[in-house]
Amino acid sequence: MIVEAKRISKAFPGVRSLDGVDFFVAAGEVQALLGENGAGKSTLIKIIAGAYAPDAGELRFDGKDVKWSSPHEAQAAGIHVIYQELALFPEMTVAQNIFVNREPRNGLRMIDARAMRARGAALLEQLGAAIDVNEKVKRLSVADCQMVEIARALNSDAKLIVFDEPTAVLGGHEVELLFAIVRRLKQRGVAIVFISHRLDEVFEIADRATVLKDGKLVGSAPIGNLDRDKLVSMMIGRNLADIYPAKAEAGEIGKTVVEARDVVVGTRVKGVSFEAREGEVLGVAGMVGAGRTELAHAVFGSLPLDSGSIRLAGQATDKPSPARSIAGGLGFLTEDRKGEGLFMLLDLAANITAPVLDTVGPSIRLDRSAEKDIARKQIQKYAIAAPGPEASVVTLSGGNQQKVLLGRWVVSARTALILDEPTRGVDVGAKVEIYRIIRQLARQGLAIVMISSELPEIVGLCDRVIVLCEGRKAGELAGPEITENAVLQLAVARSDEASGRRTA
Amino acid sequence: MSALAGVAGPSVWRAARHIPVSLLIVTGLLVLLIVIGFAASPRFGTVNNFLNIFQQSAALGFVSLGQTIVVLTAGIDLSVGTMISLTSNFTSGWINDDPNMVIPVVAGVIALGAAIGVVNGALSHYLRVHPLIVTLGMAAILQGSTLLYSLAPVGKVPDGFENFAYGRLFGLSYGGLAMLALFALAGVFLHRTRTGAAIYAVGGDPRSARLLGVSVARTMMIAYGISGACAALAGVYLVSRMGSGDPWRGDGFDLASITPVVVGGTALSGGRGGPLGTLLGVFLISLLANILNFLDVSTFYQWIVQGLIIIVAVAIHVDKGRRT
Repeated sequence: MIVEAKRISKAFPGVRSLDGVDFFVAAGEVQALLGENGAGKSTLIKIIAGAYAPDAGELRFDGKDVKWSSPHEAQAAGIHVIYQELALFPEMTVAQNIFVNREPRNGLRMIDARAMRARGAALLEQLGAAIDVNEKVKRLSVADCQMVEIARALNSDAKLIVFDEPTAVLGGHEVELLFAIVRRLKQRGVAIVFISHRLDEVFEIADRATVLKDGKLVGSAPIGNLDRDKLVSMMIGRNLADIYPAKAEAGEIGKTVVEARDVVVGTRVKGVSFEAREGEVLGVAGMVGAGRTELAHAVFGSLPLDSGSIRLAGQATDKPSPARSIAGGLGFLTEDRKGEGLFMLLDLAANITAPVLDTVGPSIRLDRSAEKDIARKQIQKYAIAAPGPEASVVTLSGGNQQKVLLGRWVVSARTALILDEPTRGVDVGAKVEIYRIIRQLARQGLAIVMISSELPEIVGLCDRVIVLCEGRKAGELAGPEITENAVLQLAVARSDEASGRRTA
Repeated sequence: MSALAGVAGPSVWRAARHIPVSLLIVTGLLVLLIVIGFAASPRFGTVNNFLNIFQQSAALGFVSLGQTIVVLTAGIDLSVGTMISLTSNFTSGWINDDPNMVIPVVAGVIALGAAIGVVNGALSHYLRVHPLIVTLGMAAILQGSTLLYSLAPVGKVPDGFENFAYGRLFGLSYGGLAMLALFALAGVFLHRTRTGAAIYAVGGDPRSARLLGVSVARTMMIAYGISGACAALAGVYLVSRMGSGDPWRGDGFDLASITPVVVGGTALSGGRGGPLGTLLGVFLISLLANILNFLDVSTFYQWIVQGLIIIVAVAIHVDKGRRT
């Protein structure tokens, strides 16, 4: 066994924690680590890689008891984590990136740039990657960036490489290349931990799967003993039918209230049209970077339209602005709760009424008691776990913060609500409640536009889905056409061609 | 294999492809200014004038070099101006016309500058206070200390001391040559040592740098230490040029030291740029001052021009991709 982690526990003030988890990885094995967001996968990986110290439990690596004092120490011992947000320096060359802090030096302790380039090129060749070591990393595709990270791991003689959702940003062809490399690493005796949400990939590449849920170990078994349904029920801990509310029936969907025509935003959105109707949940799917968030900002008016037009509740404009959108009854729950959504320093009541201050009181003076009344209603309606309207928002969990934001926009959104990754970083229980609230809002006649990277949620909740790919609308699915596979096909189809262009 | 092709191919063109656009821009501006200079005054195009410009760029060169290294870590040092005031005052006050004191005082003052810089870096890193605030606070501390030491120019230096500023080798001033030597040394340090690479790494992404075992604390202390030492050297140089220290000598050098850095293409966001651009930036600013002097433009207009330059330079280099 390369990694033996026993009864690992870690508590945080927030939502995520680990509770007595065992985790074993053998040399030359590909182990899939699975679980919903917030299940504790990242915490476990960070403990193994020395970024967190466990509160309890023992960790053995390569036959020795270890207590890492820093990520660097774990790395020196042979643990390399390739995080989703890669640890690369865009302004540096490929060679410089591979050798950061490990640059080959000559007798005068000067960096030997020639040796660095030659060794970097040799490492990349071992990986079968055709990347110029003199190129700056900012000019590489995401797939090539991953190769640079893998080359870095090889250079430091990694015994364990952890891939944190490596395929979330790759097209189909790039995934195949990555898997070929993973198999090669495995043959060399490197242990691999592979985190992914795509179960097909898990069955293709993994030898064994370990499932976490709510910080606890659900189970670990050789992949041959598992099937898809078994894994899903292990991950979510309940049946699919209990998670998602029933979809809209034909009669519940009304007239079109949001209509985007040929929206162009910089280089990220290249002419996308869609419409959202009263009473329906419209999903916006696609890879990270496909332009989903930019499209939402453009519709709301927080990013300028380069061309195209938006029609909101019958009113057309080619210059939408947030103020005009709010006046037209459109709400927007952004992806980044802390950065763009919540006022972390204000209390709950102030957060809920922020976009509708002029309705709280007719005069210049803000009517705090009216504000609190509104907040109290929302707290009750959405079961927000908070002591009261004066509670500080910072102290709430991710799921409850999200409910505060939903409560806020429900006060002002009369026609439509755009949700960008509404369940990111919240636990399963809160997710189920958020899904219920979303459906309830649709039933009340709102048009819901939901951006999500989680395919199960797109499939489970949406009445209709548009799929973006590299800034264009790759297709639209409705009703029974919405399956994980169909969405994925549309999301990656053209990115394959694009990667072909890049390497050509 | 593609890398090998790169080494063996027409290397001049490959090398040219890697020259940053900012260096080309600043070189173009230099050429443009020289053309304007020739048009502005017949006295501009003389060898002697160019040698003077070279001589006069030394002080700005020293302090901008240190600023470059700090900016590469995504930091900023706003204590360089008062550091110059402090060290210039101490230099002439402590030497006080005693030739035997020259070497120990100069060495001591530069070490003091380095030490104060290290404190800047350490405070900013360990207290997690933005260097803008730390160095601004340090600037007030240094100015106060300077004025406590003396309210007016103090002390005097031996006659030979002015050689640093006015002495010449083949017509080139010692100060200017020292500046060139330091820029070359900084180039070697930044590109050929692990500490130099760490400065770029910390400026590029401190989180990633830490994950890869780079000591961010050590890197910051070294960068700010170098900046402190460079500012101290500028203080010493100005004593040599003016004949004595002055408690307000460094006034205006904070902004002035940042201008060549950003004009030379070093990104305020860190991790991109280097001393070559700054050197060209220093020449650009010195040339501009020289031409404006020939045109009899008031110093106050020169301040306005400098303010415009820094804003425009940053606006040009800022990453236009982000506009949320």
